[in-house]
Amino acid sequence: MPAFKELNQAAGLIIPEIILIASVCIMFLAAPFLVSEHGKTSSGLRHRWGIFAILSLLCAVYAWAGAPMTDSTAGPFISDSFAWFVRGLTLICGILLTLVLWDQADDSTAAESFACLLAILAGVNFVALSNDLVGVFLGLELVSIPTYILLYLGRNDWMAKEATIKYFLLSIFSSAFVLYGMAWLFGMVGTTNLSAISEKAAVVAPHAMMRVALMLVIAGLSFRLTAVPFHFYAPDVFQGVASSSSAMLSVLPKVVGFAALLRILPVCFGTVSLAEWEPAAPIKSILVWIAVLTMFLGNILAMRQTNVLRLLAYSSIAHAGYMMVGLVVGSSAGATSGVASLLFYVTVYGVVSIGLFALIAAAGSANRPVRATADLAGLSRTRPVIAFLMTVCLFGLSGLPPTGGFIGKLNLFLAAWSEGTQDGRILAIVLAANAVIAAAYYLRLIGVMYFEQSTTVDEPVVRPASWVAGGIAAAGSLVLFVKPQWLWDAAKAAAGILSA
Amino acid sequence: MLEDIQQLVLWAIPAAPLLSAIVTALLGKKVLKGRSHLPCWSALAVSFVCSLVLLFGVLPGINGTGNGYARESIVFGFEWLHVGTLEIPLQLRADSMSAIMLAMVTGVSFLVSLFGSGYMHHDPGYPRFFAAVSMFVFSMCMLVLSNNFAQLFVFWEMVGLCSYLLIGFWFHKPSAAAAAKKAFVVNRIGDFGLIMGIFLIWTNFGSIDFLHVLSSQEVISHVHTKSPHVIPLICFCLFLGAMGKSAQFPLQVWLPDAMEGPTPVSALIHAATMVTAGVYLVARCTPLFVMAPNVQMFVTAIGAATAVIAALTALTQTDLKRVLAYSTVSQLGFMFMALGCGAAGTELVTPAVTAGMFHLFTHAYFKALLFLAAGSVMHAMGDIIDMRRFSGLKHALPITHWTFLVGAAALAGVPLLAGFWSKDDILAVLYEASHSKEHGLFFGTILVIACATALLTAFYTFRAYFMTFWGPERFPEEAGDHPHEATPIMAWPLRILAVCAALIGLAVGPTHLFASYLHKTVGLTAPEAHGLHWNIMALSTVIGMAGIGFAWMFYVASPGIPVAIAKAMKPLYLVSQGKFFLDEILFVLVVLPLRGIALIATLVDRFLIDGLIDSVGALPGMLSGYLKRLQSGLVTSYAGVMWLGAVVVVVIALILT
Repeated sequence: MPAFKELNQAAGLIIPEIILIASVCIMFLAAPFLVSEHGKTSSGLRHRWGIFAILSLLCAVYAWAGAPMTDSTAGPFISDSFAWFVRGLTLICGILLTLVLWDQADDSTAAESFACLLAILAGVNFVALSNDLVGVFLGLELVSIPTYILLYLGRNDWMAKEATIKYFLLSIFSSAFVLYGMAWLFGMVGTTNLSAISEKAAVVAPHAMMRVALMLVIAGLSFRLTAVPFHFYAPDVFQGVASSSSAMLSVLPKVVGFAALLRILPVCFGTVSLAEWEPAAPIKSILVWIAVLTMFLGNILAMRQTNVLRLLAYSSIAHAGYMMVGLVVGSSAGATSGVASLLFYVTVYGVVSIGLFALIAAAGSANRPVRATADLAGLSRTRPVIAFLMTVCLFGLSGLPPTGGFIGKLNLFLAAWSEGTQDGRILAIVLAANAVIAAAYYLRLIGVMYFEQSTTVDEPVVRPASWVAGGIAAAGSLVLFVKPQWLWDAAKAAAGILSA
Repeated sequence: MLEDIQQLVLWAIPAAPLLSAIVTALLGKKVLKGRSHLPCWSALAVSFVCSLVLLFGVLPGINGTGNGYARESIVFGFEWLHVGTLEIPLQLRADSMSAIMLAMVTGVSFLVSLFGSGYMHHDPGYPRFFAAVSMFVFSMCMLVLSNNFAQLFVFWEMVGLCSYLLIGFWFHKPSAAAAAKKAFVVNRIGDFGLIMGIFLIWTNFGSIDFLHVLSSQEVISHVHTKSPHVIPLICFCLFLGAMGKSAQFPLQVWLPDAMEGPTPVSALIHAATMVTAGVYLVARCTPLFVMAPNVQMFVTAIGAATAVIAALTALTQTDLKRVLAYSTVSQLGFMFMALGCGAAGTELVTPAVTAGMFHLFTHAYFKALLFLAAGSVMHAMGDIIDMRRFSGLKHALPITHWTFLVGAAALAGVPLLAGFWSKDDILAVLYEASHSKEHGLFFGTILVIACATALLTAFYTFRAYFMTFWGPERFPEEAGDHPHEATPIMAWPLRILAVCAALIGLAVGPTHLFASYLHKTVGLTAPEAHGLHWNIMALSTVIGMAGIGFAWMFYVASPGIPVAIAKAMKPLYLVSQGKFFLDEILFVLVVLPLRGIALIATLVDRFLIDGLIDSVGALPGMLSGYLKRLQSGLVTSYAGVMWLGAVVVVVIALILT
């Protein structure tokens, strides 16, 4: 009976995820019956599945909004304000991604595509909710495996297949690192429960084995963050897969990667609350260097790209570097919390990045999607609204006012600078320098849209859902500039600084 | 309920012109066209009415009881961002000083916009003009309503930007584009001082909020005792900002050139909006300036120098608008002369600020009047403004004539008109300051300079008047066969302003209405009953009349005299006509060295920096050439690098302890 009770209690913590997974099951089970043997379906099936996915997400949002933010642990799950924040972020991104996918999904595979997306979202949430290494790993795999399918379903040509296979192999390889690191961790402390690890680590003196274990975990997760030198797949894959998949890849792996790091790293240093956590000496300096390299490499290589999706892949790498700044400075004595800045930045970046991919999808013409930067030429005259929304999103990514991206970068900069250490100062300066480098290629895209003449006249394809997603993202980016405080408060609560 | 009304009034003052600016900018060209003045008119009318409500309704009613207006201010706003210790609120704040400024700014701007719709009729940039004017007024209102230095700085710059757009309104004329650039660049020099001052305030006070910095004597004296040089430095920096915006020596060079803009813009810049910002800043920061008597004396000295130099320059100008421009510079000098008088003793601080602000207030009306009248002359003369090419206009342009006469008389200090009372206030404060023990001699000298300048003022003002409106009737050929008097939409603002210029000084000056209202400003001490200085009044009456008399003698009775004097004192005449060669001096002292530096910088940039950058720029190319080999598209090599990366970080983690 107590076991049953505990199970019941644990299930109570994951209602939004149960809703998502249940929808996934329904979609996978029902979909084959709606498709004939030759892959023929009634047209417009994707609209029905899209509505279903959105409804499911809205139910999850409803359950999330109703869930308490107070800390409660049950079984393998922990529900606290950090998990609350990540969940909210995932669900918002999920709704935007569903809109992007809506236009691009094929009628015959729409159900599977949407189901994979929902499963990925649930996986991200599980990582944030886990109180156990096994849970974290399962969550990570719940993200990875549907991703392979989603990438494959998105586009049906050899480039997509090659990209998918690449992602599949390398992702498995990185998972192996994570698992190996976790094995070391388990070997050292003899438990997989995170709370228990924290208790052990608080009393036992730090051991070299711990560093090996953590470095392996960090190396494995860096693949998801697209941190240098684990970033190589990103340009090839972003270029190869459908833009809905690139949108997903640019955001959710980062969210899940940072969620896993923020769940695992602090407990290994014996700290219970994120508010007190800061990475210890050797690991910290390695993370600093990874962050610096990631920022520079991403931006420098992005400058020379002529393919928009490849450019955005490198920009996504650079953004991972910015975010790592927030992770590295931790929440130490400084006035501005690093973790809170990180969470704020991920949110802004996630929304804006998805919006940009959506708009790129919407800007393409029927037989010629946007690939090279030259394809964007003259967009301000042919599709003025899209060009404007895209400009807002690009401003958001480059961190220029009046967008939330500016506030996000400002927070990260203040966090790094106010840490007061030499590392912090270096990071702050590198961050600022990279923001300038990055502005060069973002502004070039805007310049192409506004000042260059369009070379081709194509019948534009109408993608209303992508429009809506892009519009929401652009509006959100502007709103976050005018009223950033609520998100900042939420991020601070999630970082354990503010009790909410 | 009461609070709601206060909020509404306070927000409406800047919001209405902002809305108008946006609407006109978006719809002006396509939809509104010839009706573009309507949003601007209605917005400024709303702002003006709200300012009056604020002035007479809200502020006196804050405490609800008693005779006094609240010493406190009202503040509304919201926090824009709060990260760490950095707080950036967006707030609107009003107290007596800002209420007076707002009423003056919105009132004069409203009349100018009425005039402007007649003046600018048929201009292709009609919507652009009203969008920029609305934006200008919005910026100025926000500047006056600021509750912290950061916000003040933002709108200070916005005012500068709008002035750039308006001075360069006819940007296809090279001279207008150059004048706009000059105004912008010269202002920039002052802004440098202002922003340094703000930084100093931030580091020493730990806040840039007016309430924190200005309203508590304890805070100021605490900072002052901790480091005695800081507050004078802050005041100096702030005054540098004021010097740029309010065109004080040696930064006054931009203002006469700003005449290149449309005449209503000149009226707006000179009377209501832009140049008053510097005076307002210094008056607003009185609590700081009190702690720095040396800087106050510097303020007075600069004011006096500016006043006399500008007045001497105005003597020989032949361009009607330029005469008025130099008179503006000179009158601003008067205001600063007054503001610095607090150095002679703390009991003089309040009268000094009152005198300066009072002159600002009255000056706005008669100077707007003079400029609009000059605009009316220009309109009638086919855009000719050189006084040598027309004369005797008093019969052809009767309304312009008598309104200009009222304005000129007010500026010259004819008894009972607006300028008389405020200039008399300034002279009285200087007179009292000259009796102080410490700096008596200094302020005595300044008083003499001020009297001399007042004489010159009366002279050059009426010189312009006589040259334009008296003598034989002559028109330039550009005017056509018969010059036309101002249309009603231009004439009515002139009439209204003339009535204001005539009566507003009498209404609020000797009755102490202005003084007792202004004293409620945060940071000023309670008013002291001080009677009228009959001796000063008599003196300034004599001076004013003498100046007018001389002008009559020189330019009406025996026109040979000025020519003879000019011949006799040729060098001095040339100095005055050449505007003291300040443009040339600044060119040699500032522009040439800067150009030299720019040349060196260009060379360094082109050869050294570019070389470096190009090699750095080549670095990504080389790097990417190398990295491209890694980015081979082969999964095995990707996996290999990942494996290598993991090994490296693990090894580093083990080596570093």
